[in-house]
Amino acid sequence: MLGFMDYVQYMFFKASRWNQDNNYGSLNATAQALLDFETPRGLRLNVSSLSSPNFATSYNLGSVGLVDGSLSYLYSSLPLKDSARSRNIDLHDVIQGYRHLQELQKPEEAWLWEIWHRGRRIDRRDTLLYGRLYLPDSTLEALYLRRLSPTRQLKLSCVSDSRLKNGGTILGLLQHDVGKYNMEYLYSSDSALLGIRGLYNFGPDPRKEPTIFPPEMPDTLKPSEQHTSSETVSSSSSSSPSPSSHGPYGRFSAGAELYYGILNKSGGISTGIRFTTLPRHTGFPYTMTLTLNPLMGNLSSTYAVKAGPSLALCSRFGFNFYSYESDLQLGCELWRLRQPRQPTSNLDWVYAKLGKEHEAEMVSEALRPGTKQARHNDNGNDNDDVAGVLKARVDQNCNVGVLWEGRIKDLLFSAGVSLDLRARNGPFRAIGVELQYSS
Amino acid sequence: MAFNFNWSPLTADSLFYSRARELLTTALNKSPKPAIIVDDILVNELNLGSVPPDLEILEIGDIAEDRFRGIFKMCYTGDAFLTLKTRVQANPLNTYLSTKPSFASPQPLAAASGLTIPLQITLSEIKLSAIIILVFSRQKGLTLVFRNDPLESLKVSSTFDSIPFVRDYLQKEIEGQLRVLLMDEVPAIIHRLSLRLWVPEFRPRIDEDISRNGSLQSEKPVDPLASPPQDPVDSSGNPLGPTDISNLSLESGTETRPLFSQKNLLRLATLTDSHRTLSLFTPSIRDAVFRAWAGPTEHAETLGLHAAVATVPSLARINSSTGSTATAPASLDGSGIGSPLSRQSSTSHFTGTTGLSMGASRHSRAHGHRKKKHRVVNLRRSKNDSETGSTDSASVASTTSTATGSNGPPTPSASTDREGELVTPPGSPTNVVKLPMLSESNSLAESSTIRLRTSRAEQKAKAALTGVYADDSFVQEKPHEPAPAYTPPERPKLEPLHLHSYPKEKPRFAPSSPSALHHSMTLQETESSAAGILEQAFMVKMATEMARKARDEKSAPADAWHNGQRDDSPPPAYGS
Repeated sequence: MLGFMDYVQYMFFKASRWNQDNNYGSLNATAQALLDFETPRGLRLNVSSLSSPNFATSYNLGSVGLVDGSLSYLYSSLPLKDSARSRNIDLHDVIQGYRHLQELQKPEEAWLWEIWHRGRRIDRRDTLLYGRLYLPDSTLEALYLRRLSPTRQLKLSCVSDSRLKNGGTILGLLQHDVGKYNMEYLYSSDSALLGIRGLYNFGPDPRKEPTIFPPEMPDTLKPSEQHTSSETVSSSSSSSPSPSSHGPYGRFSAGAELYYGILNKSGGISTGIRFTTLPRHTGFPYTMTLTLNPLMGNLSSTYAVKAGPSLALCSRFGFNFYSYESDLQLGCELWRLRQPRQPTSNLDWVYAKLGKEHEAEMVSEALRPGTKQARHNDNGNDNDDVAGVLKARVDQNCNVGVLWEGRIKDLLFSAGVSLDLRARNGPFRAIGVELQYSS
Repeated sequence: MAFNFNWSPLTADSLFYSRARELLTTALNKSPKPAIIVDDILVNELNLGSVPPDLEILEIGDIAEDRFRGIFKMCYTGDAFLTLKTRVQANPLNTYLSTKPSFASPQPLAAASGLTIPLQITLSEIKLSAIIILVFSRQKGLTLVFRNDPLESLKVSSTFDSIPFVRDYLQKEIEGQLRVLLMDEVPAIIHRLSLRLWVPEFRPRIDEDISRNGSLQSEKPVDPLASPPQDPVDSSGNPLGPTDISNLSLESGTETRPLFSQKNLLRLATLTDSHRTLSLFTPSIRDAVFRAWAGPTEHAETLGLHAAVATVPSLARINSSTGSTATAPASLDGSGIGSPLSRQSSTSHFTGTTGLSMGASRHSRAHGHRKKKHRVVNLRRSKNDSETGSTDSASVASTTSTATGSNGPPTPSASTDREGELVTPPGSPTNVVKLPMLSESNSLAESSTIRLRTSRAEQKAKAALTGVYADDSFVQEKPHEPAPAYTPPERPKLEPLHLHSYPKEKPRFAPSSPSALHHSMTLQETESSAAGILEQAFMVKMATEMARKARDEKSAPADAWHNGQRDDSPPPAYGS
């Protein structure tokens, strides 16, 4: 489950229309969410507040043997209008599960950001500042996030800790995302590590999207319309007469990363490919990835499938062709719904009977614009339909992790246990409960 | 004074290397390992080489046969080598990221995926230079401490020698680890090994550990009177060879000498202890009938002579009897119990120069063992032994020889000796038998004077003697040593007496420095004058005066030395 501050950052990305999924680092996001989730340790309490649309605070108290905690503050120049109350938060946003990728969107034009007032530009870049102090370790984390342009974002993360070499470390990350491809350049002050990451999406270029549109569509959407709601763009693009013939069903992406530490003269490299289905795909959604580290001989493949509206399964197989070591991990997530979903339109049952769900969607889309997005994300308009999410994973060494996340009244909770079934001295590795309250 | 450092016998013992390997492996895996090492470190090969280290004695603080404290300077440039096996993380990015906070980590997708590689490291050309503080005592084993960082240089060769970055990293890491190992772990390892070698109490435990780790051998029931004994041990607990066993077995010779195994001695010790305590546990001994022990007084009266000795292992004490009319706690054969017990005690206290003469009939044999093992043997002892042996054969009183031996010339204060003495009853029987013995041993110049003095000082002096010994640091670790059951009738007298008379006699009997050699000699000469002085401070003053006098008249001590050498007996205070 995302912490409150991570959720606020997610809200910032959403408000500033930055696509978090379109980079090489999140190529494996689905598998990581299903297989590498962290189980809490001990008891941890979070009390947070988005006191104003621009300012958020969070206090964290934990006890694993001894009591520790952290204070964090966040400032965003972009007003975050969504509610961050733990009662209203959509669980689909805070609980990371199967990542169903959406259609790529055309980046905004730079001139759309310009705001002129009496012959002078008065617009500012969206900025997020975040600081967190851990006690009693006296570790300080700081984050500076700035949208340089519609296609660029700068992220500076710093950690100050007396136990680290040189007392701390800074990571600078410049991201450039044009939809069709994404480039990231990073520099870490620790051993002067330089890195470059890139991801390329095969298929139609979202920047040339207007040309694909049929002639009856307006060539240029109004800026206000494009800026305010992305849903209208996607819905309008999908509401073309025969979208199945035009749009792709899936997306194939390839990427690579390269690191080089100048001071210790060591580096790393990896490449990866991914195929994932898009919402237009009529069958069950699935994602396949294959990553390769040619230097270290590591080959890892994942396959994740969303078998139903509330079930996702994932497997990962790793193999090293230098040391012949292999590993296998299996995981699943199960969404427990509080009540059966109400049919979104009166005609649903007709199409359900006919087995033509897609056409039903088309019809319902025509009847009630805006519900398609919601249906594909499996988040209904009321957030109360999700009671909780059960995640479980197991690997070939019988390490088992179980996590139950959900909401009780106004509290978000996440309880988990991590077991090692082969250990002789008791199977429990970690057990814990985490509670979040925000207003 | 000579020291004999044996380097090669360490390597001759085949078990030594396996034990050392085990201990090193556990020691290496105890401390937190660097991130690059992802598996346990296994000691694959260990060789101490043939070149011994150079040792230079800087200072000797305390020396006796059973304890030693000294400071050495050690230089080692030998051909020892050590091969380790482990698995390392070959991806530098992985190890780099594992030590960094995740908040500022680049979070690579797959570039940090690990590759573990089996690694073999050979450490050779080890150069050590250190100042070592060495403390040895028979009870506490060997303690070795480095005063400075001993590691000067070392060569690390591994599978990654062709990659300079990895080689340098390994060299640096291993040097750091080895420094920690030498400073912290090696003293602990040596201490454990020494405990295993010298303290029999620890041996079963360590053996148990080893057998638990390795092949488990089912323990057979041990027949205590089996001949030859099933697991015979000699005085220091070392296993006996077949020839020794044939010498010592029950059926051989006219005198019955059942050799008890260490295990059975322990059982007997716990058995007798169970009579003395409220313990409900009685060990089962085959072919033995237990009888309740009516009371200590009755027991003491029935015994004409009794030698109360302390068995070294587990600090348990055994009351045994050597007399033919003895009623032992367990109604085994009296001599059967008595002699092995006394043998055990005497041999465990073998280090004293005077030696204990309990179980004197086998004393010569026990010391024969000693002589074979140690190059440096006090010549005095052999003389004493033969003497006490003869007296014992005449008077059949083993305890008397103990008393004479302990009250004899001021000898190096072997702690175990005194333990033995502590429990010897200073009661009347000893005094009675002493007189004929004194007449016999009059031929010895110095010892005779001392014995005469002791006979004069009588009970008081003897109690003071035990008081002196009780003051000894080694004995003080076992304050419960004079238990009432050992010296049942006399014991109440003992404590108040030694409290009073302890300061009187102390300077005479506790020569603690090399100069005390002269002290003691002069003290013997002016013994009568010293006997009357009560205050200790004055006594010390007198002693220094005497020492000065002795220095003035150098001829007298020289003669004493000369005579002593001619008599094949070492100077009285030698080695203190």
